[in-house]
Amino acid sequence: MTSTPATVTAPAPRPTTAAAPNPPSVPPRRERRTGRLESAQPGTRLGIALSLLPGAVLFTVFYLVPLVVVVVTSLSDWGPIELTFTWTQNYRLLLTDDIFWTASRNTAVFLAAAVLIQVPVGVAAAVILARRVRGWRLLRTLFFLPNVVSYAALALVYVTFYNPRYGPLNQLLSGLGFDGSRDWLFDVDTALPAVAATWLFTAGVVMILVMAEIEAIPAEIYESARVDGASRWQLTRHITLPLLRNVVGVCLILVLLGTLAYFDGVYIMTGGGPADRTLTLSLYAFQEYSNSDWGYANAIGVVLIAAGLLGILLLRRVFRLGERDL
Amino acid sequence: MAARVLGALGRWGFLAVVGVACLVPVGWVVVSSFKTQAQIFSRGDLLPNPFTLEGYVALFTEIEIAGYLGNTLLYAVAGTAGALVTGLLAAYPTARMRFPFRHSLTVMFTIALAIPVVGLIVPVFVIMRDLGLFDSRLGLVVFYSAMWFPLSFVIQRVYLSGLPPSLEEAARLDGASYGQLLRLVILPLSRPGLATAGVLVFINIWNDFLFNLLLAPSSEHQGVQVGLSLFKNQFNTDITAILAGTTVVMAIPVLTFVILQRQVITGLTAGAAR
Repeated sequence: MTSTPATVTAPAPRPTTAAAPNPPSVPPRRERRTGRLESAQPGTRLGIALSLLPGAVLFTVFYLVPLVVVVVTSLSDWGPIELTFTWTQNYRLLLTDDIFWTASRNTAVFLAAAVLIQVPVGVAAAVILARRVRGWRLLRTLFFLPNVVSYAALALVYVTFYNPRYGPLNQLLSGLGFDGSRDWLFDVDTALPAVAATWLFTAGVVMILVMAEIEAIPAEIYESARVDGASRWQLTRHITLPLLRNVVGVCLILVLLGTLAYFDGVYIMTGGGPADRTLTLSLYAFQEYSNSDWGYANAIGVVLIAAGLLGILLLRRVFRLGERDL
Repeated sequence: MAARVLGALGRWGFLAVVGVACLVPVGWVVVSSFKTQAQIFSRGDLLPNPFTLEGYVALFTEIEIAGYLGNTLLYAVAGTAGALVTGLLAAYPTARMRFPFRHSLTVMFTIALAIPVVGLIVPVFVIMRDLGLFDSRLGLVVFYSAMWFPLSFVIQRVYLSGLPPSLEEAARLDGASYGQLLRLVILPLSRPGLATAGVLVFINIWNDFLFNLLLAPSSEHQGVQVGLSLFKNQFNTDITAILAGTTVVMAIPVLTFVILQRQVITGLTAGAAR
């Protein structure tokens, strides 16, 4: 090897397109290179098996078995002491459980807030920054920074931000002559929107993914349109945006999974309160686990996992994911 | 002309609003961590006056953050190592060789990324307890390795399948075994994939809250995310210490990102493409 491994410029299909300054050709969605790979020799078969073993064991013990257990025990009354199968009872209870519906509604509100805030803001920021406006690198870093910080730390930030005594929000409001005494996170009227508004801070993921997709659009397409006299807005409107269908679908899947799994922030900011106004399904499952009502917690877990999988299937359909436009 | 000016105004206005919104709450915490508690409560000056490190002193004396930080660092470093090694070992054959169940294994490991793991808390707790891994540092390292194995696998697999198919040919003609191919041919070339996966997994484990809360009830095994948020609820806690702690907790992934930005962005795009 003459070059150092760190600088090897092997044509990794998707990843390098993200940061590469020049738009490379659009890579195939899924590699169909199986035909070019050699079949493993009997001697290497053992090597392959041993090589796959550690990952497969971890995957089995911490993903596969828990998944099966969650589904099976959601049909039971299970706690630290004993397990009795009650079949569909947990699910029938869920249907008439007001707290479950409150949690579902709140989760849906968070999802809607995340979609309505993150997708437009993320796409707009990506479209602007992809034009390489002055300072785009710095702005990209700045917009993305909240995404690398933990939800737990961000929650502590918001708790101070919204604090009625010394938080900057109330300071600003009273400085402008408004009422600056509201306890945003513990007021039944404002808790849900106050928590939902924090989704703005994680629009950076959408921005990064959309930027990578824009950079993968061949420059020739823009050239020929420009020759025909198209304005910059027309280029964006008629070429860029329609080509973002795939990546917006992917972003929606990520937002969906992120919302369903969202736990840390609400747990720390409000604990689901006041009066369950910010309770999410994930938090409700955790509460039921803490109450030693494991079967019921798992039924909520199944709802979460099923909602994620169904949502992904639906989004793949609607956004025709996997089909390329180019 | 007017339209152009308006467009530019709109663009920069938008960027300014988003930038300020991203910066203000975090910036306020960082700035306030250098104030005294009295200054914070008096709602006075924006900037610390006088500038003080009281919060940071309290962080290490009252809250004794060092132990929590040490735990988080251990989990993040060892968990990342575990996820990287298992991920590479599984990614190499599935990316570059043909064998039975190759595709189904790949699909299975990849689908794990679509599971909201919060739905699995009960069985994860029970399994960890029955394996004797509950409330132990080793247990958390094992668990984090497993939890982030799929992401590490996916990112490294994307990278390895992008390397030219002829790489192993010469070595194979010389009769190299599987282990030799992996160690002598692939490992030296796999560093970019390892780096990308490593940065993302490290940041994710550093930031974990839920599973640390679930699997480590005793404070000597808790990381900094859980430790700090539990102190938030104690009324006698010095608010400046919490602000200083939040600043420290945020600093590590922020620095990691700023230094290794390319890896983070690459990994994000690779992980999402699946």
